[in-house]
Amino acid sequence: MDLSSMTKKEIRALEKQQKKEAAIRRIKSQDKLPFWTLFRYKYLTPYYAGKLGIAIFRFVLLFGLSFVILYPYISKIFFSFMGREDFVDVRVLLIAKYPTLDTYKAILNDNQYFQALMNSSVLSLMCAVIQTATCTLVGYGFAKFNFRFKKILFVLVIFTMIVPHDTIQLSLFMKFRYFDIWGLGGTIANLFGGEWTGLNLLNSNWPLAILSFTCLAFKNGLFIYIMRQYFNGVPDELEEAAYVDGAGVYKTFMKVIIPMSATMMVTIFMFSFAWQWSDMFYTDLFYTGQSDILLPDIVKVPSSLDTDYAAQTAYESAARNTCGLLILAPLVILYLFTQRTLIEGVERSGITG
Amino acid sequence: MTKTKNITNSVDTAKRSSKGKSLARTKARSGWVFISPFLIGFFLIYLPMIVESLQFSFHKIKIMGGGGYQLIPVGWENYEYALFKDTQFVKTLAGSIGQLIFNVPAIVVFSLFVAVLLNQKMRGRAIFRAVFFIPVIVSTGIIEWIDLQDKMAENAGEMNGGAGAGISASTGGAEETGNGLISMMDVRNLFGNMAVGTELVDYVVDIVNEVYNIVNKSGVQMLIFLSGLQSISPAIYESCQMDGATGWETFWKITFPMISPMILVNAVYTVIDSFTSQDNQMMSFIKTIYEGPDGTVRATAMAWIYFLVVILVLLVVAAIMGGYVFYQRRDT
Repeated sequence: MDLSSMTKKEIRALEKQQKKEAAIRRIKSQDKLPFWTLFRYKYLTPYYAGKLGIAIFRFVLLFGLSFVILYPYISKIFFSFMGREDFVDVRVLLIAKYPTLDTYKAILNDNQYFQALMNSSVLSLMCAVIQTATCTLVGYGFAKFNFRFKKILFVLVIFTMIVPHDTIQLSLFMKFRYFDIWGLGGTIANLFGGEWTGLNLLNSNWPLAILSFTCLAFKNGLFIYIMRQYFNGVPDELEEAAYVDGAGVYKTFMKVIIPMSATMMVTIFMFSFAWQWSDMFYTDLFYTGQSDILLPDIVKVPSSLDTDYAAQTAYESAARNTCGLLILAPLVILYLFTQRTLIEGVERSGITG
Repeated sequence: MTKTKNITNSVDTAKRSSKGKSLARTKARSGWVFISPFLIGFFLIYLPMIVESLQFSFHKIKIMGGGGYQLIPVGWENYEYALFKDTQFVKTLAGSIGQLIFNVPAIVVFSLFVAVLLNQKMRGRAIFRAVFFIPVIVSTGIIEWIDLQDKMAENAGEMNGGAGAGISASTGGAEETGNGLISMMDVRNLFGNMAVGTELVDYVVDIVNEVYNIVNKSGVQMLIFLSGLQSISPAIYESCQMDGATGWETFWKITFPMISPMILVNAVYTVIDSFTSQDNQMMSFIKTIYEGPDGTVRATAMAWIYFLVVILVLLVVAAIMGGYVFYQRRDT
């Protein structure tokens, strides 16, 4: 560059420019920027301030709502450790002054908790497994095959979802008290000159097994709907490829479809397990005897717990709530293990109108 | 050129139709096999049950000594009893519909709002999602039932004039379910200063009162919305951003129309859910009737009236919302 032809001013400007470029080069050559430079250029901008504001607002809102959801459980957990003196003490809000495990001990001893847990586990596991299998089958059938009356039959699935339990409560009871399909048993018995009023299936796991197997148990219409929506989103090419390779419809279903829809099946499994676990409608209806004790039956104040104290109502209510906690505890543990799969499954189902 | 193409086309279609028909037929057959559990259940168990239930509602039931039962036809008596003689039935029915009209918009709007929040990328999203989903898994009746027992015990305590109830209230009580979280006076003050109608104030106050219930009831709806939000292509949002749309505009012009089918689904689901949930006042009313004298048939008749009302409400909701739903045309 021809320096002599420039004025002093221009030279100074050039030097300044060169210095600037050198500084930029220096900054760029460092793989980590000095903290304050980064801070100034990245975070002290109106754009970032706005973003931060929104993030804080969002966090506070979500945190508050989470608190609303969790507060009853948190308070119940704290109450469950309180001794009877704590309910009288005005200074005690959540954290007990006289912490004790008496409530738990009394419930575990008196209320047949473990027997109920065992019975409920068997029942819920059975229902969940059967329902997952049948609802997957039916959902796949509705999603991927064309046959006559398909639309009408699907409307019937929705129909089973809409009918309130109470409408069929009496008939459910009657059905399984005098179990007989289309009166066939009675007819056959009459042919041979006998009297037969049907099988009494109450107080066994049969009613719920039959209902699960025929997709009529709690909210099974919803499960079929979810599964159908999910399979609608699975591209047909997958199955076509399997058909070309020589697999039949059932082999394709077993070898291709089932493995890829494990997430959805876990979702359905978890739903049906959880809803059967704390269900009271069917258990009240089908288990009339005293012999089969299920989890909802254990909610009562244990007899060995001495509640006769100043704040008896509060203490007894805490004892009942502790029963509730003990009922829900296995469910929550299961949920902690499956929640990731579960939420993924529901998100991926792509339920659309 | 076009002619040959036409010919090959027609040959193709001929081939496909002759072969496709048999394939379609075998596929249709396996379709029947796949849905057979439901078919068996519906036609062998459910349909007879529905018919029986209708029959029961027109009869009086008499349990025989030998384990059988006898039906005595009484015509419309059970229905007449429900509609004209029972003092509580119509009132409860109207109450539960009123509750529904209040609940559905609140739940749908709330769950959409939370779903949009949870759909954004941020830290701790997985934890929040897990927390918001807890009510779906956990509170299915048992907690409400225990609360109900507590309330009954407390009422009994108050009747006896026992000191226990008073003390339990002063220490906060074990049965605090979040209703006391927000002070009503705050909301009233806030809206009292803004000159809006008292109906709106009452509605908002009720929502705040009910926030615990609404949050607890909107778990499934939230997940349905989330799955819908996930299925909107990010490319659309990107092009919006390129065109300079703000987040607000993007929500109303893109997210809202794309999610509108889900709003219909959720509204319908909410109606079904709140009508058939165990803590619905109508359901518990029918339950008490069921256990009363001569109650089984009366309860069945009431449940039938109730069911017809449910269908009616569903049709109204679907008709109102169906007009506003935007369906994205899919590539075929």
